[in-house]
Amino acid sequence: MKKAYRDNEAFIEIKDLTFSYKKSPVILNNVSISFYKSEITAIIGPNGSGKTTLGKLMSGILSSEQGSVFLEGTNIKGITLGNIGKKVGYLFQQPERQLFNPTVKEEIGFAHLFMGEPKDKVDKKVSKIIEELSLQGLENSSPYKISRGERQRVALAAILINEPSFLILDEPTTGLDMIKKDKLSEILKNLQQQNIGMVIISHDKSFIKSNADRTLEVSGGEINEV
Amino acid sequence: MKFDPRTKLIMVFSLSTLAVFVIDIYLLLVVLLISIVVSNYFKENWDFLKRTKKFITLLIGIVLIQSIFSPAGEILLSINNFTILTTGGLAKGIRVILRMLIIIISATIMTGSSPREIIQALIQWKVPYEIAFMVSLSIRFIPILGEEAKDAFTAIQLRGVEIDKLNLTKRIKIYSYMFMPVLSGVIHRAKELSTSLEARAFRAYPDRSSYIKLELARKDYLIMFVSTLFTISILGIYIIMG
Ligand SMILES: Nc1ncnc2c1ncn2[C@@H]1O[C@H](COP(=O)(O)OP(=O)(O)OP(=O)(O)O)[C@@H](O)[C@H]1O
Ligand SMILES: [Mg+2]
Repeated sequence: MKKAYRDNEAFIEIKDLTFSYKKSPVILNNVSISFYKSEITAIIGPNGSGKTTLGKLMSGILSSEQGSVFLEGTNIKGITLGNIGKKVGYLFQQPERQLFNPTVKEEIGFAHLFMGEPKDKVDKKVSKIIEELSLQGLENSSPYKISRGERQRVALAAILINEPSFLILDEPTTGLDMIKKDKLSEILKNLQQQNIGMVIISHDKSFIKSNADRTLEVSGGEINEV
Repeated sequence: MKFDPRTKLIMVFSLSTLAVFVIDIYLLLVVLLISIVVSNYFKENWDFLKRTKKFITLLIGIVLIQSIFSPAGEILLSINNFTILTTGGLAKGIRVILRMLIIIISATIMTGSSPREIIQALIQWKVPYEIAFMVSLSIRFIPILGEEAKDAFTAIQLRGVEIDKLNLTKRIKIYSYMFMPVLSGVIHRAKELSTSLEARAFRAYPDRSSYIKLELARKDYLIMFVSTLFTISILGIYIIMG
């Protein structure tokens, strides 16, 4: 594992955070941890330990009364989801929950068009991303009728068009074969070179080994460096 | 005290029947009070109040719309000759709200029973098992659907859509986009469910035996009798008085 250089400021900082869902036991118990843009952090842990919950807390999807999360020094509670999305891209464990359009092409450009960006500008960005993520040929397919791996890449493409500086990927390797995994590694390496920080939630030991600079384990309400 | 799910069903049915037929606002208020007391007795918490809080803006909107489009009685509020609030319109709006609240709150009476009990109640009322089973399935899937819709809603905002900045038409459009993932989830789940039902030989035999047998106690009969009598007499008074 290579030791990455850390710029002194944390991109996402969690401070004394305690979280539980309604009427359920505590999932994260008074945890504090920082994430840096310069490295790829892997989050591992048994099923149900709270990895997805941690990811959702980091991106403001969930929030807690006890403790706080800071995004570039600002308390995340004060930032709208729309603005968080411009900095942090979040890939859901179930990518179909973040796909809204009848075709792949529309899906990728949709938010930008919706917010009133000119069509030719958006189209250009879309074709660039389609190429980057090797989605050529799928432009006019439905995001619901392509393979799971392809669907994941479409969801990723739709995130990347926002040019986020940080990505949170929840189990991005589920259901990918070896070749697709290598392809994903390549994409992630490429993104890291563009100075995009990353958190990868995953069970996939070999994938983590070849991609992550740092590994954290969530278990029993705690987060520990591995 | 534990009551038979059928007793609860009868109560929900009585209360919501009243909600639909009663016109008098004071009487509606009484029915609402009864629903709150009964629902609170069966659930022993006030969670539903928190849930109804979210609807407040919607409710106020309903009052205004009712009032603007069906003005009646005296004018209470108008801007530049445009009537916004009238006594008649206000009364109509309040009636709609009271009805909605009664139906929502009385439905929470059922949440105290497990889905399995509700199926059994329906079966013992001679509802075909297939239909009872589907009813209970849909009850069970409501929270999951809610979670999916919530995820889709956050996901769409994380994509950079700033909902607060949108005008009304665009906002409505965004909600229609949200149906896509939710609907696809439902269809997907329905497909999987039907396969797994086939695989487990659902409906292989015409009759099913059941381990649980519900029996009505005296208190169940009493409550059923009282709620039915109450509902019928109020409706009777309404019909006789025109
Ligand atoms: N919306 C919810 N409401 C209540 N409890 C929940 C909810 N979502 C998750 N949980 C519970 O919180 C715990 C942590 O869930 P989480 O999804 O964060 O686990 P995870 O580590 O991501 O698991 P997996 O490896 O299966 O993805 C689990 O016990 C789960 O049952
Ligand atoms: Mg998870």
